Amino acid sequence: MADEISAVINQLGFSPETVIVLAILAVVIVGAVVVIIASRPVLDIYPYLNPIARVRARKGRLFNEKQLSEVIESSNIEEITNYLRGFPDYANHLDDYSLEKALDIQLAETYDLISKLAPKDIQDAFTVLAKKYDINNIKSLIAAKEMGLTEDETSNLLIPAGRLYSEIEHLADVNTVTDVIAGLDNTEYSAVLEDALPEYEESKMVLPLGSALDKYYLENLLKSSGIPSDENSQILYSYIGEQVDVSNIKLIIRAKADGLSYDKASSYVIADGYQLREWKLKDMMESEDVAGVISSLEGTDYAPTLGDSLSKYNETGSISVFEKALDEYLIEKAKSFSTRKPLGIGPILGYLSQKEREIKNLKIIIRAKREINFPISEIKEMLI
Amino acid sequence: MGVEIALGTALAAIGAGVAVGFAGLGSGLGQGIAAAGSVGAVAEDKSMFAQGIIFAALEETQAIYGFLVAILLLVFSGLLGGGEGLPTTVGLVAIGAGASIGFAGLGSGMGQGIAAASSVGSVVEDKSMFAQGIIFSALPETQAIYGFLIAILLMVFGGILG
Repeated sequence: MADEISAVINQLGFSPETVIVLAILAVVIVGAVVVIIASRPVLDIYPYLNPIARVRARKGRLFNEKQLSEVIESSNIEEITNYLRGFPDYANHLDDYSLEKALDIQLAETYDLISKLAPKDIQDAFTVLAKKYDINNIKSLIAAKEMGLTEDETSNLLIPAGRLYSEIEHLADVNTVTDVIAGLDNTEYSAVLEDALPEYEESKMVLPLGSALDKYYLENLLKSSGIPSDENSQILYSYIGEQVDVSNIKLIIRAKADGLSYDKASSYVIADGYQLREWKLKDMMESEDVAGVISSLEGTDYAPTLGDSLSKYNETGSISVFEKALDEYLIEKAKSFSTRKPLGIGPILGYLSQKEREIKNLKIIIRAKREINFPISEIKEMLI
Repeated sequence: MGVEIALGTALAAIGAGVAVGFAGLGSGLGQGIAAAGSVGAVAEDKSMFAQGIIFAALEETQAIYGFLVAILLLVFSGLLGGGEGLPTTVGLVAIGAGASIGFAGLGSGMGQGIAAASSVGSVVEDKSMFAQGIIFSALPETQAIYGFLIAILLMVFGGILG
């Protein structure tokens, strides 16, 4: 065999030096091709590895069924507070703030942490998501001033979290809604609120201001998720797009239940969602009633989930059944991303959604415990 | 005056370079991937340090296999002294042996790194996942073992270790 190989080399007329050069060249070319092909997927997942481990560590600290049952079975708010003191994530703020506020701060900190942890490609969307708390604080300021609350009462409504908190905290001592808007002059929300101000002055209702802020937030969210270029950004785009869709559906259902006209409701709807394009939204808004809105969603992913809730709505007359069903839909969707892209954005979205669910459930339990003798079975039914 | 090296010995030197170079590349990438996941886990949970080190150390083996094959090639090809140079054909066999462990180590190391990083995430979320995580992370080791075995067989039956 060895002689045959030598013979072939001699027949080809290669000198020993040529054989060495060719061998080196072959190794270099094969090596380069292998390295390029093999390293591409690694480069894609590399930025996610550290954030994934960090969010999965936090996911492991979320309440399991047993722990949530223990909270539900607590006899009063003090017992829940003491129970939560056993969990470092919640214990930090319980000494300084009320229970609900401590929970809000925890969630705001979670959003802030994720916006810092997220890889650069998808960071913008999480930065916008974290601004939700700034918007909530502005809404609280506006509502407080409309109701004529004092400085202390207004401060009490604010969540000491978010990027704008230190700048807007002092607005608790102004007198009117217009003063709040004037105080926000240097922020990105100034123009949005100025535009909605005439409608507020005409109607003397804060709804147009709040809705304008929500619309601005959701439009920015859609913009931040950008044009999907890879699987991670595609997942992010669909996650955010479905949040916008769900927000639109909730708004239209509420408008139909309250008997609002097409003109009034349409100004608060985001024109282009993910599955619900402009024409579909128009269809929904032109429906006669809530049942008509649900049937006009036929053919979208939201139809089965809302269709199941329709009979419950007919029994109770409460649109909260649809809101709960849509919240559960988003949670399930985020959970499915965790398994679809476990070495990418999946675990980040999965954790965020589970954390939000935990805080919402804790708030539901706390609200129920504030009522006297609220049945445990009913609390369990209300949980998401 | 330059050192006289037989062509076969020079080819064996290329084989040694490929063995340790590519196996080391796979091992390094894999270890980097696993370590990135482990650092994230330790940042959230200090008790994960020991498990993190174990998952990050798994990918060391590919570099060790490549290093062993490279040393054997260097010693038995006469490059480190104490023997005659190898014939050209045996030198080509040496390149095959180096490529065998080099490329197998590259794929195995990278795969193991990804599995280990994912396992670290599972363990930090649920400590009882440690054993399963180790098993899944150990699976890609087999490809490196195949490469190592073939490299040894090539060296034995190709006249390098014989």
